Amino acid sequence: MTKRTKLVRFTAALAAVCLTAVAQAQEVIKFALNHDFTKVYTFGAVEFSQGQRDYLTLLNEEGGIRGHRFEVFVRDHGNEPQRGIELYTRARDEGAVYFMFLSTPVANALIPRVLQDRMVLGTPLHGRGDAIVGEVFPYVFPMMATYWSQATRLLQYIDDAQGGLKGKKIAFVHIDSPFGRDPIPLMQKLAAQKSFELRTFAYPSPGNEQSAAWSDVRRYRPDFVFIWGAGNSQIVSVREAVRNGIDPAKILSVVWLAETDMKNLGESTAIGIKRAEVVPSGRNHPILQRILQKVVTAGKGVGDPAVVGNTYYNMGVADMLITTEAVRLALDKFGPPLTGDKLKAGFEMIRNFDAEGFLPPVTITEQDHQGGGYARVSQWDGKAWVPVSDWAASYQDLVWEEARASAAKFQQPQ
Amino acid sequence: MFYRQSGIYHTRYEATRRLWPIPFERWQVGVILLLVLAAPFYLSALYLQSYLLPWLIWSAATLSLTLLMGVAGQLHFGYAAVMAIGAYSAIHLVRFGLPFEFAFLGAGLIAALIGCLFGAAALRVKGLYLVMATLAMQYLVDWLIINVPAISGGAHATLQAPSARILFFSLENDLVRYYFALAWAVLLTVFLLNVKRTSFGRALVAIRDKDYAASVIGVNPFRYKLLAFFTSSFLGGMSGAVLAFCFYRAVTPEQFSFNVSTQLVAMVLVGGLGSVIGAFLGAGFVLLAPMILTNIVAMLSDFGWLNVSVNLLSHLPLMIYGALILGFLLAEPLGLAKIYDNIRNYFLVWPFKHSRR
Repeated sequence: MTKRTKLVRFTAALAAVCLTAVAQAQEVIKFALNHDFTKVYTFGAVEFSQGQRDYLTLLNEEGGIRGHRFEVFVRDHGNEPQRGIELYTRARDEGAVYFMFLSTPVANALIPRVLQDRMVLGTPLHGRGDAIVGEVFPYVFPMMATYWSQATRLLQYIDDAQGGLKGKKIAFVHIDSPFGRDPIPLMQKLAAQKSFELRTFAYPSPGNEQSAAWSDVRRYRPDFVFIWGAGNSQIVSVREAVRNGIDPAKILSVVWLAETDMKNLGESTAIGIKRAEVVPSGRNHPILQRILQKVVTAGKGVGDPAVVGNTYYNMGVADMLITTEAVRLALDKFGPPLTGDKLKAGFEMIRNFDAEGFLPPVTITEQDHQGGGYARVSQWDGKAWVPVSDWAASYQDLVWEEARASAAKFQQPQ
Repeated sequence: MFYRQSGIYHTRYEATRRLWPIPFERWQVGVILLLVLAAPFYLSALYLQSYLLPWLIWSAATLSLTLLMGVAGQLHFGYAAVMAIGAYSAIHLVRFGLPFEFAFLGAGLIAALIGCLFGAAALRVKGLYLVMATLAMQYLVDWLIINVPAISGGAHATLQAPSARILFFSLENDLVRYYFALAWAVLLTVFLLNVKRTSFGRALVAIRDKDYAASVIGVNPFRYKLLAFFTSSFLGGMSGAVLAFCFYRAVTPEQFSFNVSTQLVAMVLVGGLGSVIGAFLGAGFVLLAPMILTNIVAMLSDFGWLNVSVNLLSHLPLMIYGALILGFLLAEPLGLAKIYDNIRNYFLVWPFKHSRR
């Protein structure tokens, strides 16, 4: 072989590689689903990520969406904004169209970047509560009931099914961080409107030691106790509450309380405790049955099969259900290749999407990126979480008033 | 061979007192400066914006801290709080309507004043006790930021950096941000290289080595300890402002939490206490090693050479990272700067074995 033919062959091979790369870029849709597997969000990151990937595997097994298959980019960012930024930039350059980091600090650090790059950032159950305002955050999609909507849903539940809010004493026990203080202003407004009494009790982050806060709570003699933390701090909260003689049925939790937490706590420690939920738990649904059948039993699942159907797992599935629905709508309307702008428009075309009854009806518009704000209350029976209310969106006028005010502040300097 | 000294005769005091008396080192510095100046033209956005830029800014912060910890010998475990004060002050001052240049200086001044307040503890306590005092600063500042919405910027405690101009250039531009951070890092480097040769620097070193011996020879510990805290916090505050405006563009309390303080201390220690090149090496190692290791491990797994769960996959880089720190510090307790120095000394007399000290 002469030098020249060698060169020609090499160029041809290179061109072929480049061409296949281009062809693949048209067929494969890349998602960057990075998590904090090592620092703060470890309580749910593994199951959440497993749910996301198993559902995408199921979609790929069933032929993808309009022939497009999915590829995921999963890395650990350790809850550090600078690492999140690096992962975001890397995935963006590799052609990812959807980004999710499940970490509030990382998501907040990325918001200015995604707005500039016109890339879609999913912030289900994390990030800023005011990102539901689509006009201000056009590329950010919380897509499920935010912490604010969860708090209002729990209050509505007390109002409807627990003898009304009027005159009740509610203790709000929270981790002393921006996340923990998040719903306080909203709840104070509602307290004035519905004339109930609200007192807040903060415990220091990371929340392994809360006894001081809980003896104050006991002295306050509340009718209901809200616990607002995540991971281990929730377990400590429940344990301290029970030790201080608070009836578990009077405790209402933010969305971060799941099977794994109850198992760590001791399954029978707090029977009757309630929580807000935005996705159902359990395997009793056609989508999860298909995942079990085609992914898990086929040996294509990632991680422990036992966690399939757990709350955090189902949250991951729900995130992917909504996002892939947006992909489907975007591809139908605009055709490939998918871009950030198309995906954004796809999200905003979602109307009453309930994923075969798995989700409450999700409707995302250009203005509303929350999807309606539906949540419900479920109760721990010692084995599983049993719903005790219907899906509903509560006091959304207040939530939106708060979100618009906060979003206006975000826009101010620009 | 490389650091050739033979045939180089300094005939004037100025020549021997140059920052880099060996010509080869001047070339080295020149080439590195050219490389970083031209970086936007050959580095992709990923490596420029997510590796080099944060590396420069964190190096500047490490340089400010090493002035206090390495040169003056005062431990500081709340340095992220100093940077937070700088970052938040700069943003609020610009929002208030001040031009960025003044806000930048103001950020330094405010950080310096508050830093001095806590540094005053150093007049009474030393070593581990000073660590406690500076830790208190970290927690107090964290608490204040989280609990005062006027500082943190509302319920979400995220404050966007407003658009600003530095000397007619808009900071909205990626290139301007990079060159501004680079200029700041270069300025601090030159400052730190020189400060050790001034009476101020020598006084700090005297205090570090033994404060009452220093006071016997006429160095006023009260004055110089406070000055050390003032200068270091001033520079740290401004580095915090650079971090906020050039890299994050939105500040949250988590960006300046206790973890970041320990990372900064690690950058100083792994790099080498009081060393300028150590600050760059240490910052590079502590900041970039986790990212690079994560990507290497993920790549191995993508190729199918490492078939483990995602959980173990995420922890593997941490294990390697920990082992690397241990390994480096066991091999050379004086840090990466000393490793560089050993290599330099080796080449200074190469092919012979012993160096003349």
